[in-house]
Amino acid sequence: MFYYILKKEFRLIFRDIHALLVLFLMPAAFILIMSLALKNSYSNTLEVPLKVALTAPETPEINLFLKELSHNAYFEVTLVSKSSLKKLLFEEKYDFALHLDENYKEKINKNDKTFTIQIYSKPDTNKEYLSILKHSIVEVISKNIMKDYFIASKKDASLLGKLDSTVVNTYVYKNNKQETTPTSVQQSVPAWLIFSMFFILIPISNTFVNEKNFGTLARIRSINVSVFPLLTGKILPYFIINQIQVVLMLLMGIFLVPLVGGDALIIQGNYFLIFFVTSCVSIAAICFALFIANISKTTEEATSIGGVINIIFAALGGIMVPKFIMPEFMQQISAYSPMSWGLESLLELFVRGGNFSDISVYLLYLLLFAAVFLLLSYILLKKGRN
Amino acid sequence: MSIIINNLSKSYNNKLVLDNLSLTINKGSVFGLLGPNGAGKTTLVSILNQLINKDSGSIEIFGFNIETNSCEIKQISSYIPQTYAFYPNLSAFENLEFFGALYGLKGELLKQQIAYCIETTGLTKFIHAKAGTFSGGVKRRLNIAIGLLNSPKIIYLDEPTVGIDPQSRKYILDVIKNLNKTKETTIVYTSHYMDEIEYLCDEIAILDHKKIILQEKHSFPLKKQSLLKIQLEKSSIQMDVSDSYDEFMAFVANLKQENKKILSLDFLNENSNSLENRFLSLTKEELRD
Repeated sequence: MFYYILKKEFRLIFRDIHALLVLFLMPAAFILIMSLALKNSYSNTLEVPLKVALTAPETPEINLFLKELSHNAYFEVTLVSKSSLKKLLFEEKYDFALHLDENYKEKINKNDKTFTIQIYSKPDTNKEYLSILKHSIVEVISKNIMKDYFIASKKDASLLGKLDSTVVNTYVYKNNKQETTPTSVQQSVPAWLIFSMFFILIPISNTFVNEKNFGTLARIRSINVSVFPLLTGKILPYFIINQIQVVLMLLMGIFLVPLVGGDALIIQGNYFLIFFVTSCVSIAAICFALFIANISKTTEEATSIGGVINIIFAALGGIMVPKFIMPEFMQQISAYSPMSWGLESLLELFVRGGNFSDISVYLLYLLLFAAVFLLLSYILLKKGRN
Repeated sequence: MSIIINNLSKSYNNKLVLDNLSLTINKGSVFGLLGPNGAGKTTLVSILNQLINKDSGSIEIFGFNIETNSCEIKQISSYIPQTYAFYPNLSAFENLEFFGALYGLKGELLKQQIAYCIETTGLTKFIHAKAGTFSGGVKRRLNIAIGLLNSPKIIYLDEPTVGIDPQSRKYILDVIKNLNKTKETTIVYTSHYMDEIEYLCDEIAILDHKKIILQEKHSFPLKKQSLLKIQLEKSSIQMDVSDSYDEFMAFVANLKQENKKILSLDFLNENSNSLENRFLSLTKEELRD
């Protein structure tokens, strides 16, 4: 009997084209788009460097400044003759216009209080890029002044040129094994995978609400069949679909994203633990979907209520916006989203090299979440009999 | 007796729906359960099919107590709801296969039973098409076919002919009648169509205001009695047209020859003893929610 229950459920799932699109195409599209869109946020360089127009007379001092500022991979600096700022920014598409006095070193050395270095940019300029440019300018000028001072003092100034390379960052992993650097794909794949796993709600509610409304559920209950095969027959196919999502999205991160110019997903975590995490996420998503299907009268109601709640879970849980760029209070709220528990568990494994003890609390939350919604669904079904 | 109900009561949210209802249904009968909307028919059928729990009273079905022999009762019963209780995205065969498996059938027995149900309900042409694409009549037949899979001793049919064409309706009524005759299956049939009840049932009960207000063996007049009142210019005539309109047509032809006119025609008492008229007089004519 169980075989036929599974067969029926799989037939229904694979004939629900809309649900399949949501379960497989939506996360695939999000992973591709977001991996590419967030690529720069995770790397030390920009795909397309920011264009800086340096308006200053061509002197050896200015040429040296230009050369040293150009060492920064974020910027492509061009010396331009004085021109209208609007023309530079809006017509010639420079990201920044920078005006530097030809005697800037002299003015600094004389401690001229009126001296300024003026940066011009469009109002929608990214503040982080502006900050990087400011710090780079200060760094180049400071180095030049320090160099002059070292030469005047007959000291070896060669280390000044190498200072940047003497500051080295090393990522510290929990398992001491990993040699990967965090990339956008490392964030996007687990995030959108978990988001799409919760959208198992669509096929579950489509089937369950229709069973309720068409009287199919009543007919099944009038037949001499126990609840256990019916319930497991309902949960198992969707669990398998969720695991197919996991395999396909991971494969996509590993093989497809690099083909379109993104970084490749590198998984060095324990595969058994990854399966355990995705299983807990799947059970939580299925039990939540069963509850939504139980309280909904129509499939439209189920997909709209469930869809909105899923999007809120995602927005809070660091799926749509990485958690590390959220302010502190938002990060605290985020801790209440089941998607955040799943995402944090996968990020622990994918990025931070964590082990079971690092994720056990999240898994416990996910299983408790599942138990609460399964119990509520059971109570609602039972209430229907009375 | 196939069903014995004693002092059955049920309420929802403190509102009484069935009040100390008692009813017996004979083995092998086609039992018509009538009642206006909201009378409690669906609640009664749902309790008999163990879809909802009763508050008090006792129910015995084929000698089994509904509380202690729930499984035995489910094995010999079949519930055919008014709605299309199957999966529209599955074919007729796939639906039958699934429900047959739920009834515990497998292998050759499952195949044989599916073949029997398909043949009995005339679904041979439709077995591999998606159920959602069927016409109303074919859907109703599939609904019934699923209900026959476990060769039930008792079938509950809840308004099985709603929204279908006369041909399909006749076919379904004949299938039910045939099941009752050949397999001696007890049928509990609810419907708002009095002519169906008259055609099928050998016993009826009318349920209203939480109680059975009438239970009796079939005693419906088979012949319609229609009395026509013909109003002429100076007189009026009453004519019995129950058997044929020949006499009336001859009378009209005669009037034409005499150049007389008919001012109005009224049926005085069309089938005044019909089930419908008795139903309306028992349950009153006010509209129900």
